[in-house]
Amino acid sequence: MSLLDYHVLLALAGGPLYGYAIKETVAQESGGAVTPRAGSLYRVISRLTTAGLVAEAQPTEEPPPHPGHARRYYALTAAGRRELSTEAARLKRSAAMAQKRLGVAPGRP
Amino acid sequence: MRSLLIRMVRWLPRGFREQFEFEMIEHIEREYVAARSRGRLAAIGYSLATAADLARNAIAERWRPTWTRPPIATEEDKDMKSLLDNWMRDLRHATRALARSPGFTIIAAGTLGLAIGVNAGMFSVVNRVLLNPLPFPNNDRLMAISASAPGSDFPPEFGVSPEFFIQYKEQSKLIEDLTTFNSFTNTLRVEDRVERVRMSWPTTSVYSTLGVKPILGRLPVAEDEDRVVVISHALWQSWFGSDTAVLGKVYDIGGASRTIVGIMGPEFRFPDDGTVLWISNTIRTDQVRVGRFGDRLVARVKPGVTPEALAAELTTLASRLPDRFGGSPNYRRLMGQHRAVVRPARDQVLGAVQRPLWVLFGAVGIVLLIACANVANLFMVRAEGRQRDLAVRRAIGAARRELVRLQLAETVVVAALAGAFALLLAYAGLPSFVHAAPPNLPRIVDVKLDGVTVLFTIVASLGAALLCGLVPAMRASSPDLTRLREGGRGATRGKRLLRDGLVGAQTALALVLLIGSGLLVKSFWGLRNVDPGYETENRMTFQIAPEGPAFTDGAAYARFHMDFMERIRALPGVESVGIVENVPLNEATPLAPFRTEEMSTNPDAGKRLRYTFAAGDYFSTMGIRVLRGRAFPGRDLKGTFGSVMISRSAAEQLWPGQDPVGRRLQLQGQTAWSTVMGVVEDVKQNNFREEGQPVVYFPLVVEGSPEWLVASPAYVVKSPRAESIAPEIRSLVKEVAPNAPMYRVFTMERLATDSMVQLSFTMLTLGILSALSLILGAVGLYGVLSYVVAERTREIGVRMALGARADQVRRMVVAQGGRVVAGGVAVGIVAAYWTTKLLGNLLFGVAPLDALTFLAMSGSMVLVGLVASYLPARRASNVDPIESLRSE
Repeated sequence: MSLLDYHVLLALAGGPLYGYAIKETVAQESGGAVTPRAGSLYRVISRLTTAGLVAEAQPTEEPPPHPGHARRYYALTAAGRRELSTEAARLKRSAAMAQKRLGVAPGRP
Repeated sequence: MRSLLIRMVRWLPRGFREQFEFEMIEHIEREYVAARSRGRLAAIGYSLATAADLARNAIAERWRPTWTRPPIATEEDKDMKSLLDNWMRDLRHATRALARSPGFTIIAAGTLGLAIGVNAGMFSVVNRVLLNPLPFPNNDRLMAISASAPGSDFPPEFGVSPEFFIQYKEQSKLIEDLTTFNSFTNTLRVEDRVERVRMSWPTTSVYSTLGVKPILGRLPVAEDEDRVVVISHALWQSWFGSDTAVLGKVYDIGGASRTIVGIMGPEFRFPDDGTVLWISNTIRTDQVRVGRFGDRLVARVKPGVTPEALAAELTTLASRLPDRFGGSPNYRRLMGQHRAVVRPARDQVLGAVQRPLWVLFGAVGIVLLIACANVANLFMVRAEGRQRDLAVRRAIGAARRELVRLQLAETVVVAALAGAFALLLAYAGLPSFVHAAPPNLPRIVDVKLDGVTVLFTIVASLGAALLCGLVPAMRASSPDLTRLREGGRGATRGKRLLRDGLVGAQTALALVLLIGSGLLVKSFWGLRNVDPGYETENRMTFQIAPEGPAFTDGAAYARFHMDFMERIRALPGVESVGIVENVPLNEATPLAPFRTEEMSTNPDAGKRLRYTFAAGDYFSTMGIRVLRGRAFPGRDLKGTFGSVMISRSAAEQLWPGQDPVGRRLQLQGQTAWSTVMGVVEDVKQNNFREEGQPVVYFPLVVEGSPEWLVASPAYVVKSPRAESIAPEIRSLVKEVAPNAPMYRVFTMERLATDSMVQLSFTMLTLGILSALSLILGAVGLYGVLSYVVAERTREIGVRMALGARADQVRRMVVAQGGRVVAGGVAVGIVAAYWTTKLLGNLLFGVAPLDALTFLAMSGSMVLVGLVASYLPARRASNVDPIESLRSE
């Protein structure tokens, strides 16, 4: 799972979002480290959809009115939720390992 | 900037866009506005980064789409085994599908197989004859050396003299080894069997130069002088029944008793295929007489030596010859003008045969291209018929490459069938092709279906499969999903362009071949109608070589021949008979300097003319016109004493603008003068392409030169039975001179045909190939138009229901075919403009850009195209509007 995949899933774990909102959330939650461009973002959405981790969904709140086409909202599927928690657990272990190593061997190049 | 980005969104594949396009555009607009608010620079930076991102993702998405369900077992696909399994599955599938449509399969495989077959056949010839013409190790280091002397009256290129061999051998730093030799026909007598055979007389260094060894016996050494011979494998088999006891036996070979010491392998042929034995020769410095030009020279050079470098060195070495060996002032001057001519032995051996073979190889390549275009079109039409099937497959998740593979599998199966058919065809057809080929092609007898040819056939089949399968497969793999809608149909513009393009290309290629063969036919026609200065119909020629103690001088031979002519004249059906030393189209005449009484006595003055000997009724028998004076008396040997006949251009050179009859000329170095008795028309001695040559005809016995003798002249017999009279003459020879072999028996008609064999063979083969390509092109056009008509049945039905007349519909379809053909013809003419010059010296009396041929062939092409279009057009005009509308 790529960093962008992870962050998109993470963003959607908070509730259904549409494309632009996903991008904003991802940028914010990653502290600006991940700022996907349009092409990459929608391909990731497409891939996650095809893989069954994300699905189109109804927004939880009535979306604010805006001109043009209706926005598509995406939400995590059950599989997506599982996948995200697995990945989160992995990241946690990995982060702990990193901290431990850095802690036991301070100052080593 | 913004609109550019929005346009770039369209680069993404359609399926992806259907889902995300609007959102992406809105997304980009919002981001752009945000970036713009931070300044112009920020907007530009944003645009560039986003454009790059879009481009990258558009490519990635097209290559590996994310918007459909992923193909099942993608992981497995990476593994070779499953890849192979997939291919096998697809091949099986393809085989079943093809078996269900045998008509398509037979036409596609037959077309390709025919084209690959002629390619395989031609390749085996090219591979043997052109790429491997010399069966010697490292033959790229073998160079053929001859002489030229620009500015002298010698021919543009001539053979060397023995002193060249000595000089080159001792002083060249670039040559490793070399041999000099000449070839001739002479008598071979083994017990009762007497025949004239081709023999060669090379120095003993020939074997080390070429790098060959005998399969039996030994090679000649210097001590053998000229008393031993090495024989060819073919002679050993045919004359001696492959008996090894022949080694050490002594026979009468080339006029002397010589011992057979060695037998060469079947591969060894030198200097040409017809030579059956090699007499040993040693050139000794103390025995050399300078200026006896005419020998050939072959050298093995050190690695990396170029012909140019060698020519420069040899020219310098030859310029020192007069200082070392002496010679006349003439010789000294000639050596000052001498320039060595060096070319790879390969080129020397191949000579003029390279061009026709490469032309034909190119032609069969064109036929293959046409066949591929044809089959590609067939596959495209076939794929068209299963668009819905493919669209369904694609929609339920088949990956693009799976569809490509499925389509390619069919072409692979067809190509495999075609390859097998091609091998069969080449195997069956090669012997007759080899038989029809000009016999002067080196190693042509070795041409057979070998491993390399089989490999070539396999590669050509696979190449053809890719060539004619890839385009339809690529198209089929991105099916138009709208096809899934009820009744969706109709060719897109892109598909039509491609199909028309393929047919147009076929037309263009076929036209190139047609124009090429048209030019050759015209050349052949022109050559056949050349007046060579003599008649060929109802004439036959043969030679006999009487031998024995009675033949002591020229007069003895002359008496024999005069008597023998009398015997032949008495045969029923013989109208007249004559003899000549060198009969046209069979042997060349030698060159020598002549001078007239009017010229100065300076030995350098004079003209180099050709000369030969004639007697009996030679001129009337051959139909050579006497222009002035009279011909030699036919039966009176004495009546010709001291006289000569000269040809028209010889007269013009010796006595320009004057009557030569009664004037006198002399062969330089002779003391006797000869009086001109008459002037005859020039004859084309070697072939019909050349100009008539200046010739001096001596009588059989030349006064004052008893050493000049005509031992074995060519007889020329005029008879309506020229084809069948040879056996009667043979029995006459047996009766009169049982020891004399009779040989070189031909009708003049046959010699004339043989002299054009290069042209006629190329013309015939190219003609067959262009007919083939014309048929393929017409079938291709017919097929495509038929399909188009079938596809437009409904539209045509509507048109007719609305009042279109049948002839209007016909015109519409024919016009569509006509446009394609016209485009193809236009391209073909341009292509022919560039390619016909490749025919080069095969052409005779016709320019490579002969307007008439271009016009006629283009016209026939258009005509064939219109006929091929008319048939589908007629079918279209027979459409019943009601039926066609109901069929939907």
